[in-house]
Amino acid sequence: MDELLFLRQEVAPELLAGVWMSIKLIIPSTIFGFFIGIVSGVLRVYGNPVLKRLAGLYVLFFRGFPLLVQLYLWYFGLPRIGIYLSPFAAAVIGFSLCSGAYHSEYIRGALLSIRKGQLLAAYSLGFSKIRAVFSILLPQAMRRALPGSGNEFIYLIKYSSLAYMVTCIELTGKGSILANFYFKYLEIFSIVGAIYLVMVSIATWGLNYLEDRIAIPGFGRPKYS
Amino acid sequence: MTDQTPVLRIQNIEKSYGDNKVLKGVSLELNRGGIKVIIGPSGGGKSTLLHCINFLVGLDEGRIYLNGKEIVHTRKRELTAYRQKVGMIFQDFNLFDHLNALHNVLIGPVRVKKIPKSEATERAVAELERVGLRDHMTKYPAELSGGQKQRVSIARALAMDPEVMLLDEPTSALDPELIGEVHEVIRDLALGGMTMLLVTHEVGFASSLADEIFFMEDGKIVEQGPPQKILFNAECDRTREFCSKIGRLHNNSS
Repeated sequence: MDELLFLRQEVAPELLAGVWMSIKLIIPSTIFGFFIGIVSGVLRVYGNPVLKRLAGLYVLFFRGFPLLVQLYLWYFGLPRIGIYLSPFAAAVIGFSLCSGAYHSEYIRGALLSIRKGQLLAAYSLGFSKIRAVFSILLPQAMRRALPGSGNEFIYLIKYSSLAYMVTCIELTGKGSILANFYFKYLEIFSIVGAIYLVMVSIATWGLNYLEDRIAIPGFGRPKYS
Repeated sequence: MTDQTPVLRIQNIEKSYGDNKVLKGVSLELNRGGIKVIIGPSGGGKSTLLHCINFLVGLDEGRIYLNGKEIVHTRKRELTAYRQKVGMIFQDFNLFDHLNALHNVLIGPVRVKKIPKSEATERAVAELERVGLRDHMTKYPAELSGGQKQRVSIARALAMDPEVMLLDEPTSALDPELIGEVHEVIRDLALGGMTMLLVTHEVGFASSLADEIFFMEDGKIVEQGPPQKILFNAECDRTREFCSKIGRLHNNSS
């Protein structure tokens, strides 16, 4: 009984603040990451040779460097050249760029899977390339990329815990501090893990719902629900 | 004046894929309201020619004039303006998979011509009605039959107000019983005075519609003339051979 009271009074408010910080990291990183992924995915398929190359290099580096190393570079490395980022900003930038590199590949794959005729038909109606890509190809490609990109969203929820390493105290950070302070590692990290599980479950449910909502009628796709 | 200048004039188009020369200097003219049909064996360059005319395939050589004005396809604006005036119907329909029939017809006028959505919707509904699909407006391509898809694609092209229509084997991907409904729509267009260039294997249909037939083989127009002459009294041996073959096929099937 004491234990429960302790958890409720001492631990819960702290962890809740951590959850809140995690959410503040995850949501903008997801949005920016997806947006960056779309732009770089489109450039990798339909960009001119220079842009194609640049987008390719972006993906190479941001998938190639470990995320933790990227975060260290943003937060501890940049001050060397006079740029000081807050822990929060460093984490969001790091997550968005890394996530974007993965989304880029999902979008690229989805764009490549769309029949050539879709583009030809758009051209024949007088669409310019960029308009055809954004009005005709991307709406189809994003549907196809969603299962893969959804996976990336879920990864992001969990690798947001790395923000702790650049002193942005989110859920895992709060958990570590509490665990060290009270010396209750088993209890606190179990709770922390369970909270991530809940967040991932909510995201999974949301993604499945979205997939059902945007499914194109007539393609005989089985529903999740 | 309009009768003097051909709506569309194609001059000496050449196209190669690597060492394979698919078009070896093709020229033709389309007068306003004229209907020309291209026949010929597969691999003869018919489809490539239509794709070239719409610059969907880059040409190596040749010029294209719309209403007497040469189209410079490297000028993006000029190219998209030209394509809006030249409707294209594909063998495999190429409807936009993620849009229902109405939005397939709507998207060109709204996104390309910047016509207000309400006005464009009215027009799109009218075009779908014209091809007999008013009741199927909210269906998605995957929910339509082949014949219905092809009719939607015709409505989609018409909504752009084209001056010429290029039809690339519009019925060759269809079940025999669905061909009739598409032919009917094309026939209506012809009666309405639409200028058309049609590639087809349906010689019976072609001869009833065309004012001139081109026989194309091996990247060249081998022979051209009025339907009766090309189909039954051709000068060139290859034309005669081809026409008697598909003629027999046609007779057997009817």
